Amino acid sequence: MVGWRSQSRDLQQDAILADRASSQDPLGSPLPKMIPGIGAFTQDTLWCFSQVKGTMETGTTEADIISTVEFNHTGELLATGDKGGRVVIFQREQESKNQVHRRGEYNVYSTFQSHEPEFDYLKSLEIEEKINKIRWLPQQNAAYFLLSTNDKTVKLWKVSERDKRPEGYNLKDEEGRLRDPATITTLRVPVLRPMDLMVEATPRRVFANAHTYHINSISVNSDYETYMSADDLRINLWNFEITNQSFNIVDIKPANMEELTEVITAAEFHPHHCNTFVYSSSKGTIRLCDMRASALCDRHTKFFEEPEDPSNRSFFSEIISSISDVKFSHSGRYIMTRDYLTVKVWDLNMENRPIETYQVHDYLRSKLCSLYENDCIFDKFECVWNGSDSVIMTGSYNNFFRMFDRNTKRDVTLEASRENSKPRAILKPRKVCVGGKRRKDEISVDSLDFSKKILHTAWHPSENIIAVAATNNLYIFQDKVN
Amino acid sequence: MVGGLKRKHSDLEEEEEDEKWDWGPAGLRSYQQALLRISLDKVQRSLGPRAPSLRRHVLIHNTLQQLQAALCLTPAPALPPEPLFLGEEDFSLSATIGSILRELETSMDETEPPQNPVAPPGPQNEVLPQPDPVFLEALSSRYLGDSGLDDFFLDIDTSAVEKEPSLAPPEAPHNLFCAPGSWEWNELDHIMEIILGS
Repeated sequence: MVGWRSQSRDLQQDAILADRASSQDPLGSPLPKMIPGIGAFTQDTLWCFSQVKGTMETGTTEADIISTVEFNHTGELLATGDKGGRVVIFQREQESKNQVHRRGEYNVYSTFQSHEPEFDYLKSLEIEEKINKIRWLPQQNAAYFLLSTNDKTVKLWKVSERDKRPEGYNLKDEEGRLRDPATITTLRVPVLRPMDLMVEATPRRVFANAHTYHINSISVNSDYETYMSADDLRINLWNFEITNQSFNIVDIKPANMEELTEVITAAEFHPHHCNTFVYSSSKGTIRLCDMRASALCDRHTKFFEEPEDPSNRSFFSEIISSISDVKFSHSGRYIMTRDYLTVKVWDLNMENRPIETYQVHDYLRSKLCSLYENDCIFDKFECVWNGSDSVIMTGSYNNFFRMFDRNTKRDVTLEASRENSKPRAILKPRKVCVGGKRRKDEISVDSLDFSKKILHTAWHPSENIIAVAATNNLYIFQDKVN
Repeated sequence: MVGGLKRKHSDLEEEEEDEKWDWGPAGLRSYQQALLRISLDKVQRSLGPRAPSLRRHVLIHNTLQQLQAALCLTPAPALPPEPLFLGEEDFSLSATIGSILRELETSMDETEPPQNPVAPPGPQNEVLPQPDPVFLEALSSRYLGDSGLDDFFLDIDTSAVEKEPSLAPPEAPHNLFCAPGSWEWNELDHIMEIILGS
């Protein structure tokens, strides 16, 4: 397995140096701005702090822990779900001409309780209200639609604005009481009068009772008429209009549960081909299925698996190979998978190995036993593409998150923390020291805080704006505005 | 994940850093036994009011299988299928399996190799809590369906970490929901026989 190491060349560090160098001239006058990509001073992205949402209190309730983050298709809206079953939607404010240097900020647009805790009396089990995933539908009219799911139930929410209200009813008086039609002598046409903007969220569909096991993924199809929900053993296809039926398209439950050795961990539809989807497994494999082939897609069209490296074999090999997230590139040509230690990019046309492998935190390889003992080895990290599929991002521990530039092969480690939270402050690259001698700004592996994990991140569909969930806080970073 | 704890040195970590750590056959076996203990502990701890994560469960089970293979155990004979695992019988069987797991933990602690200087900080003398009937009810009719959680571990032969077979059969745990001489007692006896490999 050829993975390039992220030892020396820090994306952000180089960019900072380049920026400084290019702005100084021996004679004292500023040099003209270098054209990006030409010459020695490549303009890499510098990330700056923009906003943070959430409380600063140290004693946070578990309900506030963010469990999913998702931009909508235009990037105008940013949704988060939390362990308490709530959804908070932020909206980007319109950029004003007065504040050129401030890109649009995200402010709360709507908050609602999506799911409530439930109890399955038949099995004496609690059903968590935690929102596992949110997926937006493309906008087709003035209202916004999103899917949110917990372990068992998917809901379609409509978020709409109301800024006018009708006045002048004939059959109702001002207090809303019905009038006796016999008393009406004249008719008037009701008029719409402006009112304070109200954003309301209403559940339009509830898709329940279709999953025995825990739902881990939902994915909207490119036909915008159907979507899929995947649990540990099955994947169901739904039509948005029909809530009492779903098609089962994948079922890997063995007849004898004793023989169960593999579960589904994530699933996603192809961005353009409405008949194609992929799902990943706990054994590190990805299957691509074509719904045209058969009704039940138990036989895959393609099977992606990398042969195991025998020199790295240990008791934990299978656990760390378990894929926690799978994402199609925007182009639809590649898929990206995240396992415990790496992110891999696969070409749909090559099944026997990934085309790129990036080490997220390989220094943890020698700590797997402790991470197994404290359960961290089961953490499920997500991964995301940027809008142009040139950079990928994923989270790590100690509130670190990593970005890998697929073209320049450079990477950077950044941190989401309150200390780096001055407005427009440039994020300083972080470095984890593995060996003996620790340099001044480095942090040693043993000092990492494994309770601060960044599992959920999102990238704006077309701009360099990222949302990073750090436990109960949501950080928004943007690239430096020149 | 148990709480939001900063990572602390496990007993295993300390053993790894100990210069006297022996990666010879005895040390490796000790390591594997420790992993086995951790894995079984995870299984027990995962039984709570919420349905356990199937993914986590499958991964732990697969790891246990590898450990079993590494400890060079012969696989346990398959238990007779139907009668033991249906309906209300699940209730007492679950209690049985639960107590067997506890027995194993205790016995594993007692069979730590003497040359290992680091005493495992397990809950050796802790009084284990009485299984709650509601808890066991949940355990028996897990969301896994007809077969219970216990089915995963039927093929795990943990005799390597058991007491020597030459010892007298273990006394029945007092918190078991059955009386000596009852049919449940006979089932327990039968299962203990298989696990001890006698």
